[in-house]
Amino acid sequence: MHLLKLNRNIPKFQLWTRRYSHAVLHDENEYTDTPVYPPILDMSLQGRKLRERQSVHEKIRNLKTVEEKQIALNMPRYYGWKCVMFNKNRIPYNALPMVQCYTRTHFKTVNSLPDAYSETNPLAEQVVKETKSIIEDIIAVESENVRHIHNNPQEKSEEQLKEENITKNIVRQINRVICNKLADQLPHVLSAQIDYEPRHEAFWFVGGTDVPHNVIQWRKQYKWLHDRLEEPIDRPVQYIGTPHLAVRSQLPLKPIVPYEEATNPDFKVPKFTYVPESVGYYTEFRHGTNIPGFWPGDYDEFGLLSYHGRDHMLSRNESYGHEDNINALHSQALKSSFGWLLAQANYQGFTTYNDITYPLVTQTVITNAKLWSFYVYQMNTITMHNEQMDENPKHNICFGTTPLQLYDTIENGQVKGLNEDVLKMLVQFYLNAPEEREHDMKPYLGKDEQLIADIEDDNKRCWLESTYKHLVSNRPKHNLIPEIYLWERIYKIQHKTRFFEAKRRFFECGINPYKRRLNEHLPPYIPKALREYPRSKKKFERTYYPDV
Amino acid sequence: MKLVRPYPKQLPNVVQFHCSMEMTKFDIKNYLEKIYNIPIVDVRTNIKVGKFRKDYGKGYIVKDDDIKCAYIVLPKDMTFKYPDLFEGLKKEDEESMKSLDEAKKSFNDYLEKNKERTDVPSWFSI
Repeated sequence: MHLLKLNRNIPKFQLWTRRYSHAVLHDENEYTDTPVYPPILDMSLQGRKLRERQSVHEKIRNLKTVEEKQIALNMPRYYGWKCVMFNKNRIPYNALPMVQCYTRTHFKTVNSLPDAYSETNPLAEQVVKETKSIIEDIIAVESENVRHIHNNPQEKSEEQLKEENITKNIVRQINRVICNKLADQLPHVLSAQIDYEPRHEAFWFVGGTDVPHNVIQWRKQYKWLHDRLEEPIDRPVQYIGTPHLAVRSQLPLKPIVPYEEATNPDFKVPKFTYVPESVGYYTEFRHGTNIPGFWPGDYDEFGLLSYHGRDHMLSRNESYGHEDNINALHSQALKSSFGWLLAQANYQGFTTYNDITYPLVTQTVITNAKLWSFYVYQMNTITMHNEQMDENPKHNICFGTTPLQLYDTIENGQVKGLNEDVLKMLVQFYLNAPEEREHDMKPYLGKDEQLIADIEDDNKRCWLESTYKHLVSNRPKHNLIPEIYLWERIYKIQHKTRFFEAKRRFFECGINPYKRRLNEHLPPYIPKALREYPRSKKKFERTYYPDV
Repeated sequence: MKLVRPYPKQLPNVVQFHCSMEMTKFDIKNYLEKIYNIPIVDVRTNIKVGKFRKDYGKGYIVKDDDIKCAYIVLPKDMTFKYPDLFEGLKKEDEESMKSLDEAKKSFNDYLEKNKERTDVPSWFSI
């Protein structure tokens, strides 16, 4: 027995002696010419939490593929983030200040397109002259001579549906005419991809806003949070939109203003701290998705132009007034342009935590076939979460026109008073040629692996692909979020009248279902018959969630 | 309809009311426009569930009545600030509290000074 003890001790003893001798050796090199100190770290609770968050951001940055980054953004929430929804169906009164702050965009109303477009003037005029008569015919035929049959869904009126359908058809036809005209002259138009009603979704965090009521109530429970009741939090924001038509190409558009201008204090956006509910926005639990109308791996990944409808204007209250209607259009343009560009940036490997290193530009048209407004949007920054909201000096810039009338009336199947300047602006959007950039477009993606399609390991690739697609589909979970019944809220939570009962429900065991992480579930079970030969004790399949 | 302090913090052009459960958005709008001549852009309403509380002295739980809240949106160039009704009263309160504090302090000083000779009357001193 004693021998055994001794035996066990021997290796430990050896380790000791070795370590000791090593230390002695090390002593000789201990002194350097200049003193080297470890960095001084903030050891307060806030400081430690900040470092924790920063390390997560760093981990997301270091992930190699686009899809893994998207899964990583959703890792902290099994049942999804409580997102402020930016839909295009409804724009509340006085929406512009909030949208400007949430997209960090300086908006400039202009009467004509920025100077960068002036060199394409002569060609545009020629194209307008040649296509004018065809476009007149299209408008006349589509507006009056086509009967639309549609099932009326609840959320849209008959009038709105009619306008939507007419606009959709006219936009498709005009796009076809202009593309056909320009395809033989301009290679970027020939090779451009055209999406009909694509899925545009974007997800980001906005910090520095007021704390919602329920968070304050939660903080009041704990004594150590009493001096931090009003500390701002991140609000997840989700944009969802479907343009009538989107054009995209392999190369990005040229910046409208130089990238250095992004830090110009003239473009500063006033902060909007009120809760979004007070403006009239609502929240929804969902996974954050970034989809610019195609799946990762498409070659044409930069947007040139998107056409949006404005049928929601018909459902606005008359009391909002004309000026607010125009502001609503501006805010729609900001949301949709920023949303599309952010999704594109996400496919380049940037996320809401890792800022873009170069500007991206897109052009947006909002139309109902008669009234057209044109917007040029340059995205310079996408980080606006809590730590960056005040420190980030960059801002996005948008130039936009008020709604311009394309024609006056349609009489006897003839369009009267077609405004050529409006058509010219539209053609100039097509003439704006994208250009190859000299810098690295995807600095935060891996060298060999940029998409999960590049991953060699079959299991990992298939698992990530199906998980990613399932995540962005936002189907409800198989097991829905556990519910607190009203009687439990009254008699167990608000008033402890049933303290003698066994505590078995989740809220009595201190489990917060909203804090459940995405990977907190049992992986698929491997039946015994399918386990590896000869004897494998591995009961569950492997998961490949990104480590963040 | 009762004007209440906006909670949670609302935009400066939003006014909050508690109103009768039977009033609709149209009623609220007409009431304020026709009687008080207030320009109204939008009306939002929600119904707040009444508080559950322990009945005083009885121990069982009762529920207060639900409240219909109306958020009136004024034109964006207009602002409404909820008046601070008790501003003057607060000052008076503070002053009276101050004098009370002073009295308490002098009494404590007196006790402190005389704690060694508890049975001696106050007039008996040098």
